[in-house]
Amino acid sequence: MTAVIELDRLAKRYGAITALDDVTAAVDGNIIGLLGPNGAGKSTLLKALLGLVPYDGRARVLGLDAATRGAEIRDRVGYMPEHDALLAGMSAVELCTYAGELSGLPRTEALQRAHAALYYAGLEEKRYQPIDGYSTGMKQRVKLAQALVHDPELLFLDEPTNGLDPRSREDMLDLIVELPARRGCAIVLSTHLLPDVERVCDHAVIMHRGGVRFVGTIDELRGARGRDSELFVEVKADAAGLADALTAAGASCRVTSPVALQVDLPASATTLLVFQVARAAGLQVRELGVRRESVEAAFLRVIGDAAPEPVRGVGGAP
Amino acid sequence: MTAGQIHDLGYQRYVGSRRGVGTRWSVIMRHQIASAWRGWWRFKLWLIAAALATAAAAALLYLASGSLFRFLGGLSGQQIRFADGVLPLSTWLYCKVGFIVSLTTAATLVAGDVQSGAFTFYFARSVRPRDYVIGTLAGLCVLIAMIMLAGPVLLAGLRLGLSDNLDQVIALLPIVAKALAIGALGTLVYAAVPLGFSALIANRRNAMALWATYHVVVGWMAQGVAFVTTPEVGALDLSAALNAVSLNLFDVHLRMTDQSIPTSAAVISILGHAAAAIAVVSWRVRDAQRTGVGGSS
Repeated sequence: MTAVIELDRLAKRYGAITALDDVTAAVDGNIIGLLGPNGAGKSTLLKALLGLVPYDGRARVLGLDAATRGAEIRDRVGYMPEHDALLAGMSAVELCTYAGELSGLPRTEALQRAHAALYYAGLEEKRYQPIDGYSTGMKQRVKLAQALVHDPELLFLDEPTNGLDPRSREDMLDLIVELPARRGCAIVLSTHLLPDVERVCDHAVIMHRGGVRFVGTIDELRGARGRDSELFVEVKADAAGLADALTAAGASCRVTSPVALQVDLPASATTLLVFQVARAAGLQVRELGVRRESVEAAFLRVIGDAAPEPVRGVGGAP
Repeated sequence: MTAGQIHDLGYQRYVGSRRGVGTRWSVIMRHQIASAWRGWWRFKLWLIAAALATAAAAALLYLASGSLFRFLGGLSGQQIRFADGVLPLSTWLYCKVGFIVSLTTAATLVAGDVQSGAFTFYFARSVRPRDYVIGTLAGLCVLIAMIMLAGPVLLAGLRLGLSDNLDQVIALLPIVAKALAIGALGTLVYAAVPLGFSALIANRRNAMALWATYHVVVGWMAQGVAFVTTPEVGALDLSAALNAVSLNLFDVHLRMTDQSIPTSAAVISILGHAAAAIAVVSWRVRDAQRTGVGGSS
């Protein structure tokens, strides 16, 4: 089966600046988080995938070569930009109909699907009002609707929760989570908000300094360094007592609260050791699990040298 | 069940054919026309003004074709052909209306799209820079032509209709071609040139001010310089250039500064301005495509 995005030695240079440095990856999944610090090359990658900038190497989107079939790709891909990209003086339904027509839909079909997309985005009541008067949350919804109107198979969402209040952010994330099932499209979510990625994404691509540093599932990302021998343990009381007893049994422990500790088991031991030691010490284990990193911690680990980079100008390059 | 969920029940992926990429410009053209048509002040009001001007010119043309004027023409001992002069003289009026419409439609267009981020909206789809340029220009040309072209052609038609016999109709036929030529040049002046100015500055108001300044102030200055140097310089005043073409084509001789501009200089000025404007718009739009989608990097 063809991956959603395939990159083979993809390179893009702006003069002396390397925005993408021989990137090779095959990306698949329902909701893919595209992560990376500013200047990592995410925007350039998006442009290359949409066939908007020339590049070296090969990039395929939905099985189509981005260098030669950019227009076809853009008909099959929806793009929700980070910044306002709405036309002044139009209502939401007019804008979405126009967007559909520009993507090649016949006018009547575009109109019908504009209504459907606006319903999906939760703007059914406001769809005839001029967009100029919309709140930030409503504008985000219109941007989502205009990206959906031509029935894309792949959706690029660029910071979709930017500027939203917590309630609207939750609503937007709910819409995004449901999209693959309700509209049958894959999503590439470019964001700096790692909790959003943790909440909605099943796959992640991490970029740094023009290269791809990680491609895989979120579980792989969080567990990439975790092993079954790295545990978290919650006890009814006296975590310090259990830590002493486990240390005596050869484990290394770190008490994180009076009732919780992190445990690294010796190589030959299993989780049974924790229960045996706890029982011997007269302590009750309430919860035990494999210790996983947060996406944020995993991200920082993957990009490794997360120290501020020297300004390379990628963020402002054309 | 929410309205959205109910809608989902009827959802089916679109599998029909899509409009060819080469025809997307026509969608943009329709959008430009529809946008201008929305509300009164941008276009409709000025179209009515142009219609009133045409009606006044038509009334004058009708009267001028009557026996009284012919009698007066005969008395003067020269061929006044007042009726034939109505059409070229009306160009002056159409220029005024065309200029106002150019301010409300064309002069802010590209700048407005840059300001609102519309280029990201366009170029994330299968729209090429040339589709935007052609579609926008075509839309504006349709709008401006309703003022600059339709009026003169209607007057030319009326002039033919007021002919005494078929021989006169045949003799007067070239005025239709002349009216078309003047209308086409006028459409270029007030569609392409202000569009070019709107691409020079990424701010709607400033772009509008720049076009107004160029049209009015630079026009006056050009006329002043032409007065003391050579008449060709006066062709930089676009409305004067258009008037000159109109008067010269219809061979109407009046003591006007405009008429001192040679036709060739006027046509070269108009076409040169339009070509430069289209080049500027193309450059700006191509640049917007490269930098627009996916942020600035």
